[in-house]
Amino acid sequence: MKKLLFILTLSLLVFGGFSFKQIYFTPLYFEIPKGFPKPVYDFKNNPLTEEGFQLGRNLFYDPILSRDNTISCASCHLQQTGFTHVDHDLSHGIEGRIGTRNSMTLMNLAWSKTFMWDGGVNHLDVQAIHPITSEVEMDETLENVVSKLQRSEKYQHLFQDAFGTKKITGQLTLKAISQFVVMLTTSNSKYDKVLRKEEQFTDMEQKGYAVFKRNCASCHQEPLFTNDGFENNGLSIDTTLNDVGRMRITQKETDRQKFKVPTLRNVQFTFPYMHDGRFETLNEVIKHYNSGIEKSATLSPKLQQPMLLSDDERTELLAFLKTLTDKEFLFNPRFSFPR
Amino acid sequence: MHLKTLLLFGLLWTSLSVFSQTKSDSLLVHVQFQFDGANLKLNSTYISKQNDTLTFDKIKMYLSKPQLIYKNDLMDEKENPYHLIDIEKPKSQQFSINNTSKKKITGLKFNIGVDSLASVSGAMEGALDATNGMYWAWQSGFINFKIEGKSSSCLTRKNKFQFHVGGYSEPYYAMREMSIIFNEKSIKNNEITIQVDLAKLFSEIRLSETNAIMIPGKEAMKIADIAKNMFSVQ
Repeated sequence: MKKLLFILTLSLLVFGGFSFKQIYFTPLYFEIPKGFPKPVYDFKNNPLTEEGFQLGRNLFYDPILSRDNTISCASCHLQQTGFTHVDHDLSHGIEGRIGTRNSMTLMNLAWSKTFMWDGGVNHLDVQAIHPITSEVEMDETLENVVSKLQRSEKYQHLFQDAFGTKKITGQLTLKAISQFVVMLTTSNSKYDKVLRKEEQFTDMEQKGYAVFKRNCASCHQEPLFTNDGFENNGLSIDTTLNDVGRMRITQKETDRQKFKVPTLRNVQFTFPYMHDGRFETLNEVIKHYNSGIEKSATLSPKLQQPMLLSDDERTELLAFLKTLTDKEFLFNPRFSFPR
Repeated sequence: MHLKTLLLFGLLWTSLSVFSQTKSDSLLVHVQFQFDGANLKLNSTYISKQNDTLTFDKIKMYLSKPQLIYKNDLMDEKENPYHLIDIEKPKSQQFSINNTSKKKITGLKFNIGVDSLASVSGAMEGALDATNGMYWAWQSGFINFKIEGKSSSCLTRKNKFQFHVGGYSEPYYAMREMSIIFNEKSIKNNEITIQVDLAKLFSEIRLSETNAIMIPGKEAMKIADIAKNMFSVQ
């Protein structure tokens, strides 16, 4: 009896405080599409809730994250283009400042071990610190972002709803942004539907799929269309940028000019292509792999031989790549500007 | 059972646990920045053994997971937290360590910096919250310590020197484990002071040659090694 009383008291003490505040969260379940591997992201450390997701979505679309309140994450990551920036080879920050790389797409990030073109960021939760603090992007400090959010009544409520506290911290801000971007799963392209036997490839797409599997799939592995690794894909060095890629992070000569293998999902709309956005069209990209590879010490072993595709094969490959477009994802209202 | 009884019992329990914590079963550790044995002040001018004239603008460092060392070298096994010591925040310059043992304390063990596990675990809270400005952006990982200032020996913009020392992955893992053994007299009224003498770092650095370390690597590893010399207990 004494023991029971003790336990009851203890539980009253522990849970009592919470129950008076009446906090209810709506859990969100992260769906793993059929055939996809186990996600890398550890959801136990950041349990998804509808409230957390909506807070993250608000932050993603809010220019409050930048020093002069002019640009948001969405300025360089537009939903309709696979959450990247079109029309610009190098992405823009506040006051028209120009960075050194093409903004990346934001898709299927739950399966990514590293982030950025050079893989310098090791966890999705700390990814947003980079664009927020980069001088050529938002040029803000996380400390000041938090104090701006703390002064906003809207965000006090959103944080209260999402995390049960009005005390905003850097950790909670970053976790909320993660809750939004980790949900950006694309898995309803024609390619996926064909695999699920809901649709069929045309003859040309089918041939293109075969070309793809022979020539591209070793790095752009299905079903994510990336192996999450780093490769030197034989681009000539742009001497105005002299970007050494992965080597800047690892300081290893063997990583010179290696960049992250990007996903090809929605590739039809994610132009321009490559880390510096040097190619405007998929035709140029295919031409590069077909005959434009520049040899160097760190060139990917998989690219030592040029593809040498015929004109027909190139057309077929292009047709296949377009089956990776997922309109349901690109126009999903849940991922758009919150109204 | 009456709710009233429960509540009363709960109240009693709370007051008991609060009361028990006020008992002095902990060691209060003060951290004192010095230069050549004198208390260090920001913007005061010092001269290093290398004959560099220098002033300090910023000193911030993580002293993490402090543990007590007992007689016969038995370590207190509890995992203790991370402390960010900031010369501009007097409150940050002290922390306490629970002392649950009756054994004699003979020393103190702690890490200078943040361990690699915390560096790969995403967004952290408290002393490790990225709003503290001790987290790198373009390359993940904590800055173990920041020492910034000015010296006429530095041919840099505004004669600045900046040491941001960190790195969580081999071969450039820059956290350093530190053990200080001291005698009984060092502890007075359950308090002890760790001196951090920056003269011992700048005696090994020629500021005309080494004045900006902002990334993990060989140079950061060297500074991390020298930094261990700064710590002592009188």
